[in-house]
Amino acid sequence: MTTRQRLHPLSPALHGAKSLVVVIAGLSWSTLSRVGFGWFVAMVVVLALGASVLAVVSWYNTGYQVVGRELRIHEGLLWRRTRAIPLERLQAVEVVRPLLAQLTGLAELRLEVVGGGKTEAPLAFLSVAEAAALRQRLLALAGRPTAAAAAGGAQAQQPVPAGAETSAPAGRPLHAVRNRDLLISQLLTPQAFLLPFGVAFVATQFLSEGSWSFIAVASTLTAMAGVLLQPVRRVLDDWRFQLARDDDRLRIRNGLLETRVQTVPLHRVQTVGVTWPLLWRFKGWLRLRLEVAGYSAGELDGRNRPDRLLPVGDQPTGEAIVAEVLPGVALSSLPLSPPPTRARWVNPLSRQVLGAGLTEQVFVVRSGLLTRRLTIVPYARFQSVRVVQGPVQRLLGLATVHADTAGGSGAAAVDRDIADAWALAAELTTRSQIARRNS
Amino acid sequence: MRAPQARTEAGPVSDDAPGGPPPTPSAVPTSPLEPWPDTVRWQSISTDLIWVELLRLVAGVAVVSTVLGVGWALTDSWPFGVALAAVLLFAVWRAVTIVRAVRAWGYAEREDDLLVRHGLLVRRLSIVPYSRMQFVDVSAGPLERAFNLATVQLHTAAAASDARVPGLRPAEASRLRDRLTALGEDRAEGL
Repeated sequence: MTTRQRLHPLSPALHGAKSLVVVIAGLSWSTLSRVGFGWFVAMVVVLALGASVLAVVSWYNTGYQVVGRELRIHEGLLWRRTRAIPLERLQAVEVVRPLLAQLTGLAELRLEVVGGGKTEAPLAFLSVAEAAALRQRLLALAGRPTAAAAAGGAQAQQPVPAGAETSAPAGRPLHAVRNRDLLISQLLTPQAFLLPFGVAFVATQFLSEGSWSFIAVASTLTAMAGVLLQPVRRVLDDWRFQLARDDDRLRIRNGLLETRVQTVPLHRVQTVGVTWPLLWRFKGWLRLRLEVAGYSAGELDGRNRPDRLLPVGDQPTGEAIVAEVLPGVALSSLPLSPPPTRARWVNPLSRQVLGAGLTEQVFVVRSGLLTRRLTIVPYARFQSVRVVQGPVQRLLGLATVHADTAGGSGAAAVDRDIADAWALAAELTTRSQIARRNS
Repeated sequence: MRAPQARTEAGPVSDDAPGGPPPTPSAVPTSPLEPWPDTVRWQSISTDLIWVELLRLVAGVAVVSTVLGVGWALTDSWPFGVALAAVLLFAVWRAVTIVRAVRAWGYAEREDDLLVRHGLLVRRLSIVPYSRMQFVDVSAGPLERAFNLATVQLHTAAAASDARVPGLRPAEASRLRDRLTALGEDRAEGL
């Protein structure tokens, strides 16, 4: 594939359809009421046509090619840009199929690169076969020199493309989340709990004061839909969540409308986070998330990062998966110690919850009074260690120790005794050194 | 470097024993800004940085107080006067802290990592292993160049890593950069 290739010719049509939705959302209800239906439709058509023309122009000028161990993406008509992505820095390649792409048999290829501020290079859209072939090719090129041959061999056995999207992920299946649990877990969120109150409010307003117009009700309903969006989105995204292990990679497959297959090499996992939301506690449920290098925290559309390890599950499941991702880590028996008693002046309620501990291979911190969070960082993944002491902490003789990782916020042991904090920082530094040498 | 026997010790950080698992009694820190005094040799930065920072402060304060002063002269309303006084007070306080903050800024090169400490109100210490370095920036703005200074900044893959050393002589800055890149390539492990 040394010649420059274009994206699929249907891509501009799909981009145009996408922008149609944005245009309608941007014009909103109030515009509709002000200009009337005919003008509204006219505005939508004009804007959508403009967007489609732009999409065609950008499609015409966009191309990609693989040169040696580098992927080059050319784009732009006025502001030409050629982006060279060294494949050594490639973190993950995923094939995403939004609803429209599923209907037309296309797929989007997303590349994640270390140090990139956001998803570096979405190639939208390619045909499914093309996307799968390119993904394998890139992964084979990006693989570590020793592992490349093995990975290539393993992938050659799978007749991947078209059928792969509908079948279970390859490899040894680890866990599949029951859809019923997923639904219940999302009903046990504050948003879902508050929904009846919102509906009652709207109904009483509507019934008691006849003055409420159609526009007001429609706007209120839109706002409520916005609040409900997160749980609904989670249900849609995590539907039929399947986790499998293939050699040293995790394969995650999820989604109802938008089927998503993600491949995460285990050695790229930076942190694993465990969350126990308040309302899930009586069910004994938890959620597992992971951070992978190269996926930025600031990206607006957080759905594209492979961050879900387990959308909902009970304690034994969580323990099994954590043990799979981070061998030798037992979730139930982590040696956590709370900060000194005088830390209650800064954390009156949550002092007992706060904790930090060291195990053989990982650094663990716990926080959060209502939504309990546990962050697990392997020593080998530390980028730097920091000790920070604010003015109040100085009065109390406390300090916070941060362990920074690539992507995500790392782990912070809050309000440790100052002498303890220095010792902890030194210990973390030496341990991360040893871990790096051994890995 | 710390004594090697501490590395093999695995277990929780004890809460009540001060110093956690100290390798040797002498490694227990004596002051919050002086961790591991016997193993780390801190280097301070050039005091010329005080002038750079003071000039920056003066420029900023001059702009703000001119705006406030003109506003006061034109409208003759008392809030402008109060604001002007507040700005000047802040400038005096800031000037005092600049002197102390520049003196508190320090860095140390250990065998495997670079230590940088700074800050007075919020004290920070960063420990960045050379092997985690992605790239090194050496920069010098016009003011810094006038005082013959430069800033070295070490970037890792983590956005939170905070290893910036301002106020270095150009010779020292390039020495540090060359040493960091040499050590970084030597021990590069990336992620």
